[in-house]
Amino acid sequence: MPTIDIEYKELEQLLHIELNWDMEKLDDILAYVKAEVKGYNKQDETVNIEFKDTNRPDLWSAEGLARALKGFVNSQQRGIKQYSIAKSEVEVFVSRDLYDIRPYIACAVIKEVHLSDAIIRGLMHLQEKLDQTCGRGRRKASIGVYNLDLIKPPIEYTVVKPHEVEFTPLGFTEDMTLNDILEVHPKGCEYGHIIKYNALYPMLFDSEGRILSLPPIINSNDLGKVTEKSQNLLVEVTGTSHKTVLNMLNLVVTMLIDRGGKAYTTTIHYPEDSNYGTVQKQEITPNFDNQHLQLNIEYTNKILGLELTSNRMVELLQTAGFNIEKTSITDIEVLIPCYRTDIMHQVDLIEDIAIAYGYNNIKPNWQELPTVGRAKQDQQLINHARDLMIGLGFQEILNTTLTNKETLFNKTNRPLTPHIEIRNPKVITMTCLRNALLPGLLEVLSNNQSVEFPQKIYEQGKVIHPDQTSETKTLEEEHLAAITTHPMAGFSEIKAVLDSFLSNFDVQWQIKQASQPTFIEGRTGRIIINGDQEIGVIGEISPQVLENWKLENPAAAFEINLQRIINNKLANKK
Amino acid sequence: MVELRVQEHQVLLGLEKNGGKASVEQLMVASNLPDAAVMRNALTLQENALLNIHAATQNVIKLTEEGKAYAREGLPERKLFRAIAEMGGEADLKEAAKKAGLPAEFIQIALGWVIRKKWAIFFGQNNRVKLLDEFLDNFAASHGKDEELLEQLINNGDEQVIVDELNVSMRGEAEQLKKRKLVVIELKTTRFLQITKEGKTALLEGKMVEPEVTQLTPELIITGKWRSVKLQKYNIEAPVTKFWPGKKHPYLSFLDNVREKLVTLGFQEMTGTSVETCLFNFDALNIPQDHPAREPSDIYYVKEPTRGDIGCHREIVERIKETHENGGQTGSTGWGYPYTFEAAQSLILRGHGTCLSARTLKNKELQVPSKYFSIARVYRPEVVDRTHLSEFNQIEGIIIDPNLNLKDLLGVLGRFATEIAGASKVRFKPDYFPFTEPSVELSAYKEGYGWIEFGGSGIFRPEVTHPLGVDIPVIAWGLGVDRLFMMHSGIEDIRTIFCQDINWLRKKQVT
Repeated sequence: MPTIDIEYKELEQLLHIELNWDMEKLDDILAYVKAEVKGYNKQDETVNIEFKDTNRPDLWSAEGLARALKGFVNSQQRGIKQYSIAKSEVEVFVSRDLYDIRPYIACAVIKEVHLSDAIIRGLMHLQEKLDQTCGRGRRKASIGVYNLDLIKPPIEYTVVKPHEVEFTPLGFTEDMTLNDILEVHPKGCEYGHIIKYNALYPMLFDSEGRILSLPPIINSNDLGKVTEKSQNLLVEVTGTSHKTVLNMLNLVVTMLIDRGGKAYTTTIHYPEDSNYGTVQKQEITPNFDNQHLQLNIEYTNKILGLELTSNRMVELLQTAGFNIEKTSITDIEVLIPCYRTDIMHQVDLIEDIAIAYGYNNIKPNWQELPTVGRAKQDQQLINHARDLMIGLGFQEILNTTLTNKETLFNKTNRPLTPHIEIRNPKVITMTCLRNALLPGLLEVLSNNQSVEFPQKIYEQGKVIHPDQTSETKTLEEEHLAAITTHPMAGFSEIKAVLDSFLSNFDVQWQIKQASQPTFIEGRTGRIIINGDQEIGVIGEISPQVLENWKLENPAAAFEINLQRIINNKLANKK
Repeated sequence: MVELRVQEHQVLLGLEKNGGKASVEQLMVASNLPDAAVMRNALTLQENALLNIHAATQNVIKLTEEGKAYAREGLPERKLFRAIAEMGGEADLKEAAKKAGLPAEFIQIALGWVIRKKWAIFFGQNNRVKLLDEFLDNFAASHGKDEELLEQLINNGDEQVIVDELNVSMRGEAEQLKKRKLVVIELKTTRFLQITKEGKTALLEGKMVEPEVTQLTPELIITGKWRSVKLQKYNIEAPVTKFWPGKKHPYLSFLDNVREKLVTLGFQEMTGTSVETCLFNFDALNIPQDHPAREPSDIYYVKEPTRGDIGCHREIVERIKETHENGGQTGSTGWGYPYTFEAAQSLILRGHGTCLSARTLKNKELQVPSKYFSIARVYRPEVVDRTHLSEFNQIEGIIIDPNLNLKDLLGVLGRFATEIAGASKVRFKPDYFPFTEPSVELSAYKEGYGWIEFGGSGIFRPEVTHPLGVDIPVIAWGLGVDRLFMMHSGIEDIRTIFCQDINWLRKKQVT
């Protein structure tokens, strides 16, 4: 979940409130936007805030947060915060060669902004957060900010061959080729993969052919350095999603306006190319127009279980930061500000109405529905199986289904059998899903060598096998495995347990001599039911396996496919 | 007057025979009782101040396997000595060794010791060994203290000797033998019993109680002989062997309990496989295909095969595609990106149990009204620590009815808080899930714990329900079951759930 650091005083000033560091009160206020205080530092006067809603980038700056909260804390501050914008002469020309690489761009001009160190930090912070989240790690969209006074518009957004161009990337002193930048510059290493596989790289030039940046990697050190002395800025967002590019630009520009900047539009000239489809050939960005969304009054009350009048709904919508275009008997036409990029459906507005109304002001109702509850159909037999093993003196064990080949096969001397492996394991102990329970039980024993003997344990749980015929290419089955270990443990002891277990399940079974290197040759058997159904294996653990697991006492074990027994039983019932 | 039982009398008598003081081993011989009986009676006698038990630690010399062999057959140098003597007092080394039956690797060792012990002289130029004259007539004169000690050890029943009982010169020999790895010196605790003045008096004046029976046998019962014997009084306070019962795993037992409560509340259990397609884990739940939750850092992908089969859900997939791209028939704007079937097919380990709810909703025989729950093992590539597991359980479910609303949702959460968490008060907060709107977080107040967040809930978005063929409200809920369990059983580290510690399981008390 995203978190940001905010200067406490600043938040108080922006909201015109005084809380005297009462974090509980702040939490109550932040709850309106699904955020909470994660930590705070009175010395630095900062508060760390966590947002549960990953779809609300408009909250990730002090200004944005205050903008979203203002209606809730002050009834005079309801409705949309309207941003004004003037026209600039700055034009941007987009090359048709970009279509398959990074086709979209949106730009804005900001003038007379007084950049303090804090504002620059806030801007960088927001830029980074947006690049990572909405921009999907800059793949989908990324932001660039430049010192406008150094740039001679119009701007050209075009492509270059990687080895033909050199420039000095931000933070470096010498010219480098684009290939070198991808390999040497920290940002090149981090984001190079986004453009690396293209024959041509995207590039921003000004009218004198000077380089602004190599999007989405790095600005040039000459035009792309923003300092406290910079007064006029050019902000651009490039990317692969037209909608995201426009949304991200709005979020950055509104933040800079909140900081006292004056915003101006630019004109983007897209190529005459059918690929660009519905995008206007001359697009003016940024676009702060409010969106319209029809809210049905009856539907709203039905979802909320309330009987709100349309007037009350209007009031609550305004508290939540929306404006109303018009109201009819059945519907409310809601205006959605450009920064609320999360609103997709009228249910999003309905939730905001509920939040403004207060969840805790709604009376909970336990709806009695005529339904019959029941556990999954094999649960009862599973429970019988577990009860039997406990009655036989075995301690129940719970292992993870994630394990590794070393445990599953090598240390247990099991022949390699089909199993599901993970493509992106996090730790070497969890690289695949178990296809048997016994290896996990041996692992448990090896971790309990200093614990009193006898040790008798069992596990009942799922094992997972590959299965080409199923939708998810896997088959899950309930298994049961048990092991006993102590100085006198042996085959007859575990066979007696198995006999007792299977007899209680009314299963006719026999045992057939088998060979499986987990067990001692001549003390290993296949467990057969109904004459020909093999459901498991039983035996005395081979000394080699005991040694592999550093076990000092003899052990005997069995593992059965409980699913077969359950399925047979369920089939018989029918 | 003091009463003595038969075995107690035997122990005291045995002590007297040994001059009032004896070790347990000595008493076993003197009293003809097994060691457990000696100790049991000694403890009772000590309680009655009739004897004292002292424990002493001593260094004990023990023969090693090699030492035992030499003690029986003689040291290698002795064998060589004997052979030379038999060959006339002088012989070729190799021949003598052969006669002595020494393996090749022992010849040099034996020779070294023969010389070191000044038994013989070795002539290097012709490889001959000659015994010193003084031994020629008197072999016994060469008998060394080391050999004496070995004999003493082998002749002692337990093949050991207490260091302190040896004279000082012999102790030096013990060190020599230890260097030759023929003996080991170990620290051993011995218990000594010493009779007290009261004990002596009791032996003389004490009253012997009649023979008592310890074990009541079937024979005694059937024959009626039990009437004529006295059953011994036990020291019922004496400790007994620990016995560990087979028990359910506390966590699974807790889950059983929750399952039972949910069934009572009218919920049916849903099941499904841990390996799932992105279609049901993400797409069907309104999570766009480029969402960070799908990054390999956030979800486990299956290595082989990489894709599942979604062909059987063609209609649903088409509707989901449309919904993601432009909202389709749901009244939503959609996410506005090109949806691909390839991404939908990707096989992953399910990251939440909500995929089961999606699968249930698409079912053509879905009943209305209905209530479902699942207890699902779920997987996330988390770094495991006190509060995170990479494999854990989620309990969640859905309620389907045309008249459901936010009030009902809050009602469900309130009911769970009291029934399952045993909470006294509840509080609701706005929450976020990509698949529900409105979304609610549940905090419950539990005596002794304060406010705890333990569940999330919401009404499924139309973007979720419509493509699955449901156009009535569906309440979706989830419980923080691990948190509840930790609270319930006083655990502070979530790793305890899968900890593999048999001791913890054995000692875990019923809660």
